Amino acid sequence: MSESILQVKNLVKTYPNGTQALKGVSFDVKKGEFLVIIGLSGSGKSTLLRCVNRLHDPTSGEILYKGNDISKISGSDVLNLRKDIAMIFQHFNLIPRHSVLSNVLMGRLGHTTTLQSLLGLFSEEDRKSAMRYLSLVGISEKAQMRADNLSGGQQQRVAIARALTQNPSMLLADEPVASLDPATCHTVMDYLRKVNQELGITVIANLHFLSLVRMYATRVIALKGGEKVYEGSPSSIDEAWFEKIYGAGAKEVHIN
Amino acid sequence: MNVYTFKRTTFDSFLFAYLFCIILAVIVRPTEEQLLNLSFNAGLFFSFLVLGLFLSIGLNKFGITTLGEAIFRAPNKKVNAISRTWYKTLNGWQVFLFVVLTFIVGLHVTNFSLYALLDKESVIPAMKLFREITSPDWNVLPKAIEKMIETIFLAFMATGLAIPVAFVLCFFCAKNIMRHPAAFAVYVVLRAMINICRSVEALVWAIIFSVWVGIGPFAGMLALMIHSCMSLAKLYSEIVEAVNDGPIEGIQSTGANKLQTIWYAIVPQVTLPFISITVDRWDINIRMATIVGFVGGGGIGALLQMYQGQALWPQVGTIIVVIAFVVWFMDTVSAHLREALK
Repeated sequence: MSESILQVKNLVKTYPNGTQALKGVSFDVKKGEFLVIIGLSGSGKSTLLRCVNRLHDPTSGEILYKGNDISKISGSDVLNLRKDIAMIFQHFNLIPRHSVLSNVLMGRLGHTTTLQSLLGLFSEEDRKSAMRYLSLVGISEKAQMRADNLSGGQQQRVAIARALTQNPSMLLADEPVASLDPATCHTVMDYLRKVNQELGITVIANLHFLSLVRMYATRVIALKGGEKVYEGSPSSIDEAWFEKIYGAGAKEVHIN
Repeated sequence: MNVYTFKRTTFDSFLFAYLFCIILAVIVRPTEEQLLNLSFNAGLFFSFLVLGLFLSIGLNKFGITTLGEAIFRAPNKKVNAISRTWYKTLNGWQVFLFVVLTFIVGLHVTNFSLYALLDKESVIPAMKLFREITSPDWNVLPKAIEKMIETIFLAFMATGLAIPVAFVLCFFCAKNIMRHPAAFAVYVVLRAMINICRSVEALVWAIIFSVWVGIGPFAGMLALMIHSCMSLAKLYSEIVEAVNDGPIEGIQSTGANKLQTIWYAIVPQVTLPFISITVDRWDINIRMATIVGFVGGGGIGALLQMYQGQALWPQVGTIIVVIAFVVWFMDTVSAHLREALK
């Protein structure tokens, strides 16, 4: 495959209260991959993603993004990094009282001056691209509705549109389908695959369900207690690995 | 010593010291002269404080639960607490003595006397005053209404001018925004300043400003404005601290800067509660405006004080009716507004 977009080396994150969320995790992500991180709740998946776009500050280790170490940058460098790495969340994190279109436009905040954004002045170009991405995720007809009037799946699609409006090179998805029903789950995952394959955006997603992992991931990493315990192709996770990752006695849940 | 033990011991020391003092007062019945002997009394209090400290540590060591222990018990010990009838426990008796003795001394200190309340000599003039107040002199109604309008505007301006100041201040007083160490220092200083200014009553500000800018509605407006700024800033900042973190992360992840994050992730979440609090503050300010008028703050309070000083009770009655009507009206309106804004 092509060159790496992200290299994580020996990443450690210790929270102020002493919890060691990551104990030296290393892995590479190639451009255009759909990497899935699996592991139990509390295994450090969310922390890992938030270290990559610097919502959290890593304690030690290196994170090379496009060849530059971004683990210790600060100020406007962090903002520029986040412009290039979009993120979606388990609880969508939209602004409830704003319209869908306005929520999608917020993806342009990093590219808009403070004064313009305080006045809500987004360029015509921004509006067009917002509408384009809304139709990409199939909800352009809901553009004027309030975001909190949408169903969970629709809200996550708005969040994807917001992320795409940033024109990112990489998309982080923190348990994007964990609060959705099985049917909606696949819709959202299909859009993520579309983003990955059609727009060539590298995707790193935290997921719970192995059946989804097998269906969508190009590569898998498993975390357990802040350490990487598995790395490989999704098809080679067998019973033995499953028990190792989720603990003995765990049963795989299938969702269709 | 952990934080629970510290709180328990401090609480116990003060409670024991207070109980000893009050028991002593009930027994000795100190004279005015004895009460004014500050250094002796302070010495006595501190001795009791030390005694209370040892009592607290000692009693708890022997497994007798003091009130401080019962209140500030460490969370992990709470499960083991056995509840017994109050008179079988020390802490039950502590509460009982505290309430009963405080009440007894309170009756004495406030010169409580049913005789003064019901004596014929005092009831007759009071009845006369009551009769006059309840037959208002409607000739002064135009004057009262004019001054009431002045008061409403006074409260409106005080609230209106306080809003922008409080709106800017509140973000600097919110812990979840001021996380960076340098920002946290600003937060601590501002919080302290606000709490100090807030503890100075609007009445005191009115006295200060009536000397500064002269007696009249301007002084009253400034007094209420200062007080409203501080109160609103505190209440606003508490709402900001309670916002949902999700949208903040969502906006931050797009590369938005601090100001953009506040504007897009926090402001939409706090707008309605802010409006609700502000309406409530305006309502409070109308009631306070009548009070600050008494000390030179203008408005209907000044008129009320003038008539009251001349013992013109029917005129006082008119003003009371006007105030009561406006307060009732504002109360109802603001309650409905706040309900609708939920």
